[in-house]
Amino acid sequence: MIEIKKLHKSYPMGKDSLHVLKGLDLHIKEGEFVSIMGSSGSGKSTLLNIVGLLDIHDEGEYYLNGQLIEKLDEKKAAILRNKFLGFVFQSFNLITYKTALENVALPLYYKGVGRKERQEVAMEYLDKVELKDWANHLPSELSGGQKQRVAIARALVTEPKVVLADEPTGALDSTTSHSVMELLKEINREGMTVFVITHEEEIAAETDRIVRLKDGVIISDEKVKKLEKA
Amino acid sequence: MFDRDVWTEIFHSIKKNKLRTFLTGFSVAWGIFILVLLLASVNGMKNGFTSQFNDDATNSIFISPSVTTMPYDGFEANRRIKFTNKDIEYIKGNFKEEVEFITPRFRKGVSAKYKKETGSYSVRAVSPSHQYIEKTLIQSGRFLNDNDINSKLKVVVIGRKVKEDLFDDEDPLGKTIVVNNSTFRVVGVFTDEGNDREERYLYIPVTTMQRLYSNTDEINQILLTYNPTYSFAEAISFSETLEIVLKRRHRIHPDDQGAIFLNNNAEGFSDVTNFTNMLNYISVGVGLLILLAGIVGIGNILVFIIKERTKEIGIRKSLGARPNQIINLVLLESVFITTFSGFGGMLVAMGLIGLVGPSIKAPAFADPSVELSTIVTATIILVVSGVFAGLIPAIKAARVRPIVALNAD
Repeated sequence: MIEIKKLHKSYPMGKDSLHVLKGLDLHIKEGEFVSIMGSSGSGKSTLLNIVGLLDIHDEGEYYLNGQLIEKLDEKKAAILRNKFLGFVFQSFNLITYKTALENVALPLYYKGVGRKERQEVAMEYLDKVELKDWANHLPSELSGGQKQRVAIARALVTEPKVVLADEPTGALDSTTSHSVMELLKEINREGMTVFVITHEEEIAAETDRIVRLKDGVIISDEKVKKLEKA
Repeated sequence: MFDRDVWTEIFHSIKKNKLRTFLTGFSVAWGIFILVLLLASVNGMKNGFTSQFNDDATNSIFISPSVTTMPYDGFEANRRIKFTNKDIEYIKGNFKEEVEFITPRFRKGVSAKYKKETGSYSVRAVSPSHQYIEKTLIQSGRFLNDNDINSKLKVVVIGRKVKEDLFDDEDPLGKTIVVNNSTFRVVGVFTDEGNDREERYLYIPVTTMQRLYSNTDEINQILLTYNPTYSFAEAISFSETLEIVLKRRHRIHPDDQGAIFLNNNAEGFSDVTNFTNMLNYISVGVGLLILLAGIVGIGNILVFIIKERTKEIGIRKSLGARPNQIINLVLLESVFITTFSGFGGMLVAMGLIGLVGPSIKAPAFADPSVELSTIVTATIILVVSGVFAGLIPAIKAARVRPIVALNAD
């Protein structure tokens, strides 16, 4: 599903440049539940941005769903994001003046789905995250956990190939974190490839595979033992 | 463009920033308001000028002889040129196509007397065509006719003011007045749109004048109107030909600028037209500059809105919004604000013109109005300016990189 070969990325910092990713190799198969672990500055966010087509890499190859990502312009990236990727962010990134339902329906709008169908499908996914009753509430009227569930519904609504979650529990307390992870697990059980970025051991432990990143290189990549899983 | 969701977005953004939207919209409305008012005023001036020029036929040419300034063909300079009836006949004979009406004019100051009333006036000795060239309106009786000319009758057509002076309330028709010791029978009373001065003239047949006062066939001036279907260029070319021919007839040096004065009304009228056109350009220019301030205002505010919405744009992009969809959103918002407020300004301006316009009474101002073309032009300007105002912010918005936008707070 996601195949990365010798991926390099640097950011210019004044006269020098900051080498963030130093030749990563990573292969994530369809249906996997993977977490990327690392402290801040390890390059994990950069990796997610590149995988999420929000940023471009300097060197190496990146295949998404078998398609080589190169010479990506904004329009092409937007179409690919819409088609293959669903995003879940730490700060939820819901549009503040839109209701839960409208937020969930937005990716479908960019996909070109008709208004009526958008509403129906979005409602279906809100129901899936158990927020059907909150459909017409604004994000400001929802709790953190509810907001993140709306964001997850929004990530799923276009039936993407991969859900990319950037510190999905970073702004939540431990109980809510747990329930959000349960939701992600459930989605994974239904066959979705889920790619989580986190710096918390407990969160990483809930996934099937942990890739540890330090200073732009992968230092370990191992399956989580079934016993450790709840 | 007619996507309901796009409009929902736009209305939301407008509602969120009511005061700001109003202030920007107001500056555009103000620009259009002034533009329309200026154009209507220029229109009013144009109408005013045109109605003043209506005094004389707009296709008229006045030719007056004067004194030569250059020696030519054996003649010394300073020779006085004299027109005679033969010049009239010559022009009539040689420019049948070109000339509509032609008349000689012979002017003389006289005193006129009826019973006890006396007054000083000017007599114009003319032929019947003069009525059409000067646009003389007959109030009662008739103007001079061919019989008066041929029989050299002592008849007179008097102006309204002359009638008031000499006759008071009496009916002047058929009465006899004494003009410089000769008696004339009044056959008509005329009015003139021009001014009061025009109504202090007496018209008598040119032949009568020539016999009575000088016993020559000399005339002071030739008046004619050219073919009314002529364009401005044709009219000018005709008057140039006429000048060359007359100079040849009277043996005047072709380059002598002083011997004959040929006054083509078209030139004057064209001067006025040029003048009002220039005013038109100036007011369009001024209006557009004011409008430009409004456009810059809108652009400014949109840039601000975009900055505020950077994160939102980033979210939209991460969800699959294509750059042109973002541009669309911003441009439509801009076009909507400019068009809506611009029409508001236009309506207010037109209302004001409709209300105040008719009550403005000034000599060179009449019937200020807005032409349909002005409205169409203004509409186009509004939409175009909306696009321009939104263009830079829209491109800026589309260029926002999703990752940067997402990190913004």
